[in-house]
Amino acid sequence: MRKLYLLAAVAALVAAPAFADDMLTIGMTLSQTGPLNVDSVAQQRGAELWRDEVNAAGGIKAGSKHYKVRFVTYDDQSQGGRVQQLYTRLIVQDKSQFLFGPYSSGLCATAAVISEQYGKPMLITGGAEAKTLELGNKYLVQVLSRAGEYLAGAIRALESKNAHAKLAVVYADDPFSKAVAVAARKLAQAGGLDIVLDESYAPNTTDFSAIINKTISASAEALVGGGHYADGATLARQIHDQKANLKYISLLVAPDSPQFASLGDAAYGITVPSQWEVQAAYKPDFGPTGAAFAKAFAAKFKIAADYHSALGYAGGLLLQHAIEQSGSIDADKVVAVLNAMDVTTFFGRFKIATDPGHHGLQVAHEMVLAQWQRKNGRLEREVVWPKAAQTADLIYPLH
Amino acid sequence: MSGKTTGTVAGEQRASLRRRPFFWIIAAVIAAFALAPAIGNNVELRESLLLATVYITLASNLNIMLGYAGYINFGSIVFFGLGGYTCVYLISAHGWPLAAAELAAGVAVSFLALVFGLGILRLRGAFFALATIGINEAVQAFVSNFEPWGGAAGLYLPTTIFKPLGGPMRALWVVYFLLVAVMGASLYLSYAVKSSKFGLGLIAIGQNEDAAVVLGVPAPLYKALAYSLSAFLPALAGGLYFFKSAFIQPSDAFDLNLSTEAMVIVMLGGRSTVTGAAIGAYLYEELRGYLLTSQTFSSFQLVISGALLLLIVLFVPGGLMGWIYGRWPRGKEVLE
Repeated sequence: MRKLYLLAAVAALVAAPAFADDMLTIGMTLSQTGPLNVDSVAQQRGAELWRDEVNAAGGIKAGSKHYKVRFVTYDDQSQGGRVQQLYTRLIVQDKSQFLFGPYSSGLCATAAVISEQYGKPMLITGGAEAKTLELGNKYLVQVLSRAGEYLAGAIRALESKNAHAKLAVVYADDPFSKAVAVAARKLAQAGGLDIVLDESYAPNTTDFSAIINKTISASAEALVGGGHYADGATLARQIHDQKANLKYISLLVAPDSPQFASLGDAAYGITVPSQWEVQAAYKPDFGPTGAAFAKAFAAKFKIAADYHSALGYAGGLLLQHAIEQSGSIDADKVVAVLNAMDVTTFFGRFKIATDPGHHGLQVAHEMVLAQWQRKNGRLEREVVWPKAAQTADLIYPLH
Repeated sequence: MSGKTTGTVAGEQRASLRRRPFFWIIAAVIAAFALAPAIGNNVELRESLLLATVYITLASNLNIMLGYAGYINFGSIVFFGLGGYTCVYLISAHGWPLAAAELAAGVAVSFLALVFGLGILRLRGAFFALATIGINEAVQAFVSNFEPWGGAAGLYLPTTIFKPLGGPMRALWVVYFLLVAVMGASLYLSYAVKSSKFGLGLIAIGQNEDAAVVLGVPAPLYKALAYSLSAFLPALAGGLYFFKSAFIQPSDAFDLNLSTEAMVIVMLGGRSTVTGAAIGAYLYEELRGYLLTSQTFSSFQLVISGALLLLIVLFVPGGLMGWIYGRWPRGKEVLE
């Protein structure tokens, strides 16, 4: 008899649904191990903050129902190899209704096949490459600006000061920097800037004197480009040391690090594109302000929020808004709302392309341009572009 | 006349292969792989077995060089990657159908392997091992800068590519069955090589190359043939795998980790055995898959799989098959 009870208990456990109906499951992989770990975890923390806030406030309201949010995550090891297996598992076994994309463009491209196959909306919060979104997918939604946009703000800000500036494009010979440079070149030419030097360098370059001499002899007034931290910081220092007297400098990635301030005078006036800065003063249509997000994030994780964490949070926020607007958790209804949405959150504007060839491509979010400026004798980053997010005027010319 | 005799011998050999139980064991494995996920449309099982087919293909083909001929090949993944690139490129840029692109990838990569092989197989031991790493790195560097193949950014396939196969949902099944076929072919190839005069020559080379040459084994030719032969099926697997992923980039295609994993699998299962490589690959994939997705172990999955590997290497040096044969000597008559 006791055995029978035991059997009944086990059967009840197995038969009982693991979660009540009013639970919304969002699946994603993250890079708990491997080279993408730091950025991927930052993104995940942003998403977790959103989830906890939503659940504390009673969940997402869709029609007459309130849905608590639950995440299911797996480690993708920063490699594409298992991404399709894990996303299939997230959908089939874990019954995820919505997906967040993995970190980095390559992994997103691989996961996209599965999201598309099952018709599960996937919000891309960590893949800037546009190619995946130009393949005719219907369920992808890109939250961040694409790779080609990185220097767009820098070029427009320059044009606002001098529409015919002589420009040097100097960039590292790696795929990301190359893609950014190609787009920057097109924008500059379309806008009427005069490209007087177009030069790439090996990513491990430590001596830029030849390139800087060329910049000087081409009488360039502005320089855009760079690559990652080591080369970007060295380039900035040597531009200062060789007195290139440029009026405007915009470099990728490197000046986004707080470490960059240690360059002292060489850092002054340098601008850097960023997906989000805490100072960016957007007026959100819904959700927290940038300052409120940064404060809550710092309180929860004891570290400062960066743009990856802001992206993680923004992805959740946009999905929540779309579900609330559509009044349902039906994938197609929510995607229809996302297609029509044109909103501003603390992260900036959100609007995606809806034509079949570019569906899901982010077209409205602008990267902000930050500039190292002096405030009470200390070097600090201020947002100088776009105007809507500005915290200080762009210092131009530098010399 | 001699041709006819050889033909008859080969014919008899094939017939005798079919009479042995191992032939049917392989057939049963293939059937199990094909049927298990298809019954009940179990997509999740399919995804897990799909990776197992890739691992089994890689390990079985690596075993021809590593297990039989005793040549440590760190760069076996280069065939997988090049196969993937050739196939994805032919489909995306020239609109070839999958079957034609696959065949072209297999033939091209095998030919390339023959050329590479004739060059580097003059080296032995550690020098050969180093050269295989070099080839992988050189090919990766070349592809990263080869613009028609997308350079460092890689190649993307649109979802519409799956239309000829009946849409993405069906296409993934088709790709899975094809991968099972490639896996089956790998097992039969490994078995056929082992049972042939050619395989005997390779094993002789593996035990003592100089002695083998003295006994009349054409070592350079055999090694180059083995190298080229072991490239064909991994190239097909690479083509299918990256077609399914709809995306290929150099760091995924030429991932040295996967090469190392294939070697670990061969050592785990037992060198120069067909069964060992297959079971090793299956267990390895299932273990990694389980640890990765387990709520309890996922945070330290690498630690656990590392510790397990260490224990196996320390206490079961003969691999799985060595252990089985030790306890069940008659197993040698059934398993290969």
